[in-house]
Amino acid sequence: MKFFNPKFLIQILIVCGVTFGGLEAGLATNVTQALTLAVFSAVISTTLLFWERRVGVAFLGVALLVGCKAMTLKQMLVGTELDIILFLVGMMIIVGVLKDLGFLTWVIQAIISRNKMTGVSFTAILCVLSAVMASVVDEVSSIVVVLALVFQVCETLKLRPHPFVLIAVMATNIGSSATMLGNPVGIFIGNKAGFTFSQFLVGATPVAFAALCCTFLITVFWFRKDIRMMSEAMDAHRKTGLGPTAKIPYKAGLVVLLSTVVVIAFHHQIEGLLGLEGADNHNAFLIMTPLVVAGILMILRPSRARHYVEHEVEWWTLLFFMLLFSISASLSTNGITANLATNLTQHVKGGPNGMIPLVILISSLGSAFVDNIVFVASFAPVVQELMKISSEYSVLWWALLFGACYGGNITVVGSTANIVASGLLEKHGYHPVKFSDWIKIGALVGLVSGIVAWLMLLAMPVPHPVGP
Amino acid sequence: MKQQRLNLTTFFNVEDVLPNCGDSSHDGVIQKLVRRLAERHQLGDVEKLTNEVLAREGMGSTVIADGLAVPHARIDGISQPFAAVATSKPGFDFPDVSAKVHVVFMVLIPRDQPALYLKVLRGLGTTFGDPNNINLVAGMMSAGEIFRFFESGKTYLPRFLTAADIMTRDFCSLSVDGTMRTCISALIAEHTSELPVVDTCGNLKGVVRADNLLRSCIPEHFLWMDDLSSILDFEPFVQVLGNEHNTPLATIMDDKYPVVSPGSPAVQVACEMMKHKSSKCYVRDEGRLVGIVKLTEFLNKIFRE
Repeated sequence: MKFFNPKFLIQILIVCGVTFGGLEAGLATNVTQALTLAVFSAVISTTLLFWERRVGVAFLGVALLVGCKAMTLKQMLVGTELDIILFLVGMMIIVGVLKDLGFLTWVIQAIISRNKMTGVSFTAILCVLSAVMASVVDEVSSIVVVLALVFQVCETLKLRPHPFVLIAVMATNIGSSATMLGNPVGIFIGNKAGFTFSQFLVGATPVAFAALCCTFLITVFWFRKDIRMMSEAMDAHRKTGLGPTAKIPYKAGLVVLLSTVVVIAFHHQIEGLLGLEGADNHNAFLIMTPLVVAGILMILRPSRARHYVEHEVEWWTLLFFMLLFSISASLSTNGITANLATNLTQHVKGGPNGMIPLVILISSLGSAFVDNIVFVASFAPVVQELMKISSEYSVLWWALLFGACYGGNITVVGSTANIVASGLLEKHGYHPVKFSDWIKIGALVGLVSGIVAWLMLLAMPVPHPVGP
Repeated sequence: MKQQRLNLTTFFNVEDVLPNCGDSSHDGVIQKLVRRLAERHQLGDVEKLTNEVLAREGMGSTVIADGLAVPHARIDGISQPFAAVATSKPGFDFPDVSAKVHVVFMVLIPRDQPALYLKVLRGLGTTFGDPNNINLVAGMMSAGEIFRFFESGKTYLPRFLTAADIMTRDFCSLSVDGTMRTCISALIAEHTSELPVVDTCGNLKGVVRADNLLRSCIPEHFLWMDDLSSILDFEPFVQVLGNEHNTPLATIMDDKYPVVSPGSPAVQVACEMMKHKSSKCYVRDEGRLVGIVKLTEFLNKIFRE
């Protein structure tokens, strides 16, 4: 590491700017609050500037906050949101089992064995598959599966895969907002706000569907030349097909996936039956379902159990989430988010509806440059504070969800799916999508989908949480 | 405490030098040198020791430069290395080499000091870096003169072995502009599962591995499955076979491989191979591929030679 790395200077400026800006704006009124702001901004700026060092900096940040009495050890442990982490661990194991069972292979085979596809129908299938996959398994697993399809098709047809990678990534980011399962942001907001799975479907899926339709139309126009070339290449390959195919058993995987989704969908009713009520048990069965399913699967497949836990779970990412959640919680416990909420209500007119575009805009721009969970974890305590003023502010949870997920499309570093897609392009021997190429289509899709979300939040009745 | 550096002359004395050795045969000169060492240092059975050196000679030539041979053996029961030198102006006849050998530097090494032989080789490499020195030594008439040559040369043994000491300089590589066909043919012809890929300047650009080839045949999504019993009749190689002549090598090239510089310690070479779970480590000097350390040769040099 070079000592005079200009990024250090930028990070120091960000930390100083946020801390002194916070003091000036009244967000921080004492040393503890200023320290919390400084640590928080240091972690956030590390994710922006020194991506690989984020876990190390988060470790030090938590230690500094505890050491300086900005939060207690117990607050730190509660702040890690272990319930969300366990939910994600369970889902990652289930996805690992789905891979093992051949279900995800079958999904790809089912598409490449279709003989009458054109460029446009392939793009439509790609959009739907990306969105649906992202909404029922996590966005990273989804993009890995969908890009395996893209590479298989493009390499067979000798086409540049970049346009289709971009289409898949954008549909994945939008689809990941459709359910609580798609994105860590979804389960985080669902759990923090207190939405049930079905409420989330009612509030998020229609908006995601509308945004996906717009994205499909935009990308079909934007990449019309590449799509036309694909149609021509597909015509030439009608006899030889799009790749080797085999009869893959899929039923066991399908049963696993459907049972998980169905049980999760009815978690609220099951919680009622089991008497899991009250704030301490809120969404208890939602969190437990992936653990129960993963537990059963690991018992049934003992020889692979260690593999699932050690290799299918993204421990590095989850560890960062825990530390980040903890540091974000300290913003709330130290009163910084309350100060910000007060400032927002004083300066933004129009009540909750007036704040929707602001929250979508801020979360979109924020998520375009830092991981969307980072931004959501930072902003969630502010929405919680606003909800103390009026429950009508719960609409901002949705604004935060859509802004964070759709804003992830704007840049190549906007979401984990984007970063994984870039890595896969390189792994397959292609140069990654240029930052300038990405931002052109990304900003357009981000803008249109953000506007769609804003208008739909104004027009349709959105569910209010039953309470955390 | 700073480790004292060893000079080559630590291992022998003027009495261990046989100038103008009359016997020109390979076995004869080795027997003479062994006898001299055994008698002077009470090393035991001469015949047994001679057989050990000759057995090692049978494994491969120990002629390391034109006119210079370094026969050696790992011996049980000795606590320090012993060396002896024989010279001949007309030259000795060593098997498998057409040119005469004029200087024979024989060394008996304790079995528990495996790297010492390679260090001696490096020391001699420094001493005889100038090829004229071999003729110079061969022309010296007395043992004292020869001993003083080694003494005045101040040839120190290196403190540690480097990648350059154990690497193979003669290796097969593929051009980065090649195709999958050339790659498959080369892997089969060389009986290897991995080959380096270089550009026209000899710069190392990557490696191709047989498993990369297999991966290009079998679509990635098939590798996700744990149980392949349901698709045993699946034959994915047909498509690759049809396109191998126009599939660029770059599509199956791997850019993650163990790489060290010529001066890197041997232990680093071992660590890099372990880290990358690879059986080869590439030695790169300012971008150019200058040698390869193969795991089997590494083991042979450290444990057997």
